[in-house]
Amino acid sequence: MASPVPLKNPRVAALLAWMCPGLGHIYQGRTGKGLLYMICILSLFYVGLIMGEGKNVYWRWINPLNDPENFRFSYVCQFWVGLPALPGLIQAYLKSKGLGPILWGYLAEPSANALNSIFPKLGKLVEVGSVYTIIAGLLNILAIYDAKEGPAYGDEDEPVGGQSRANASSPPPPNAPAAAPGANA
Amino acid sequence: MSALLNINTYWYVLPLVVAISLVYAASRHESWPRIWAHAARLCAMILGILAAAIVLLLLVNTWV
Repeated sequence: MASPVPLKNPRVAALLAWMCPGLGHIYQGRTGKGLLYMICILSLFYVGLIMGEGKNVYWRWINPLNDPENFRFSYVCQFWVGLPALPGLIQAYLKSKGLGPILWGYLAEPSANALNSIFPKLGKLVEVGSVYTIIAGLLNILAIYDAKEGPAYGDEDEPVGGQSRANASSPPPPNAPAAAPGANA
Repeated sequence: MSALLNINTYWYVLPLVVAISLVYAASRHESWPRIWAHAARLCAMILGILAAAIVLLLLVNTWV
């Protein structure tokens, strides 16, 4: 079914929506929704990151079948925030190649001492921050889908130019007879 | 950061629920009145369910 809103190139929009929440919608001209996604998702992500002092978003290359306890399931969700979370992947790649971190260590894997020290200091904030960043990533999946496919709509049609979408897409013929009362009963 | 530590954990749910409601509603509709209305309904429903769960758990706690 064709989307009632112009999606331009949906794949480009989806890629932009992944890169920066809301950017795909701004590209499509849906600026208001783009800004709404951007504010909600990036606020959640960065507030969560600050709560964990930047140590709750990072990736490490571990086979989850061999070492499930140290596998970063949370980053699998955080990754979907896009470019703001991507340095975590790059830092892990550089570490696996024996290279030092870039971007002043932004989203690089913290040392064991650093990780052990934040929990006594910040306690629940680290956990809350992790939840915020994870939810931000998951919400951006919804935004990416919206950019790719258009709005899902609820159980009733959205009005388009004063008509329901069903009526707008298939106008009745001018000489069509009126439906008999109780015809659909 | 110390100010954040003094806030009760339950308050951290509010911005989360508001953001989830807004993003979900925006993914369902294109017109703003529908987005706001859907988001408000969803926000109230999630908070209501959470409140009911808290009341239920408190009641169970008093019986055990």
